[in-house]
Amino acid sequence: MILFPAIDLKNGQCVRLEQGDMARATVFNLDPAAQARAFAAQGFEYLHVVDLDGAFAGKPVNALAVEAMLKTITMPVQLGGGIRDLATVEAWLAKGVARVIIGTAAVRDPQLVKSAARQFPGRVAVGLDARDGKVAVQGWAETSEVTALEIAGRFEDAGVAAIIFTDIARDGLLKGLNFEATIALAESISIPVIASGGFASIDDVKALLMPRAKKLAGAIAGRALYDGRLDSAAALALIRNARAAA
Amino acid sequence: MSVAIIDYGSGNLHSAAKAFERAARGMENPQQIVVTRDPEVVYRADRIVLPGVGAFADCRKGLDSLDGMIEAMTEAVRSKARPFFGICVGMQLMATRGKEHVTTNGFNWIAGDVEKISPREENLKIPHMGWNTLDVLRDHPVLERLDLGPKGRHAYFVHSYHLNTANEADVLARADYGGPVTAIVGKDTAIGTQFHPEKSQRFGLALIANFLKWKP
Repeated sequence: MILFPAIDLKNGQCVRLEQGDMARATVFNLDPAAQARAFAAQGFEYLHVVDLDGAFAGKPVNALAVEAMLKTITMPVQLGGGIRDLATVEAWLAKGVARVIIGTAAVRDPQLVKSAARQFPGRVAVGLDARDGKVAVQGWAETSEVTALEIAGRFEDAGVAAIIFTDIARDGLLKGLNFEATIALAESISIPVIASGGFASIDDVKALLMPRAKKLAGAIAGRALYDGRLDSAAALALIRNARAAA
Repeated sequence: MSVAIIDYGSGNLHSAAKAFERAARGMENPQQIVVTRDPEVVYRADRIVLPGVGAFADCRKGLDSLDGMIEAMTEAVRSKARPFFGICVGMQLMATRGKEHVTTNGFNWIAGDVEKISPREENLKIPHMGWNTLDVLRDHPVLERLDLGPKGRHAYFVHSYHLNTANEADVLARADYGGPVTAIVGKDTAIGTQFHPEKSQRFGLALIANFLKWKP
């Protein structure tokens, strides 16, 4: 189980949104690279970064901030937001992103995910963000009529490294992860699933370490880490102990 | 496997349906070609074809008159990733806007406007009617083994407007008619041709066959 701290970028700053609403953004750090260094110092092993403006624009917008982060930390970074073509995938991977997250294009252009995953094994993840069970795209501004499982099913055997499943209704609201839906998805496909949206407290860490969540490859924590509700040292210690016991 | 050809009163519907039937017959796994006005059938189809001749606004109006059709089509293509083939005005409707006489909204799948062509040479008439070769700008599964290029096969055009895309990456092929004319566009699981594959003989059938084989 990997606990990913999240850095979401808007106008070059590190923000948290509520339910993906750009109008409900709280700035937590003006310097994303400093935030990335802080997470590295706390002992996290993998960073989750989203270019929010990029997700809306359909192309990278906060590239400078991402590059500044890549230069300052050695911890691997997964990056999503505005990655819609092979050239963008290639460019980010060449710049040192450990893996890219494809969201909107996974819905509209499944061939892109398949080609990218074939060309860059282990370095392509799919981001599926659901509102009432249906996948949303374009920075969550548009909701489709398809379920996460339908989309995920397209990529069985395609070599996708992970599926990051976000429950939009919970995101940024500290209500706890949606274990039920995420575990159901993880049990229906062979691609590793990472839970996201609503990470609230140490209780979520404990729940992630329970046997019923063993199918989950990890979880993403955002606001709870920034407002101190989730103590990173305690969370990482629990995970380390669980690994040692396994 | 079914291929839904949307019937909204467009003039080239029957020739398009015939061409798709002919191309499908020659394939290993024949696909059923269904001409339909029913959004449910379109939503459930494995592939969707939108023909179209005439004025942009009239075609849009014709489609709008089929209750729920644009929604069904959009959902099938944009969420279910079903392959889509727009022909002539069916292709132009994929644009952000049409600017033929009046400004009319398209589906906005491909950023750009449908604008009047303006050939440099005065002797080149509008509408542009005739056979042209195509210059391929980008590889695409539907363009495989088609023998295109300046000495390649010809496509049949009849139009006064073309899709001027905002992003060059969305153009798969161009023709030249006193200046560049957008001939084939492609984005995600949708493609569209300004020319008429149903009137472009062997090349048109080969293109349609490639579309029927395409598994995005």
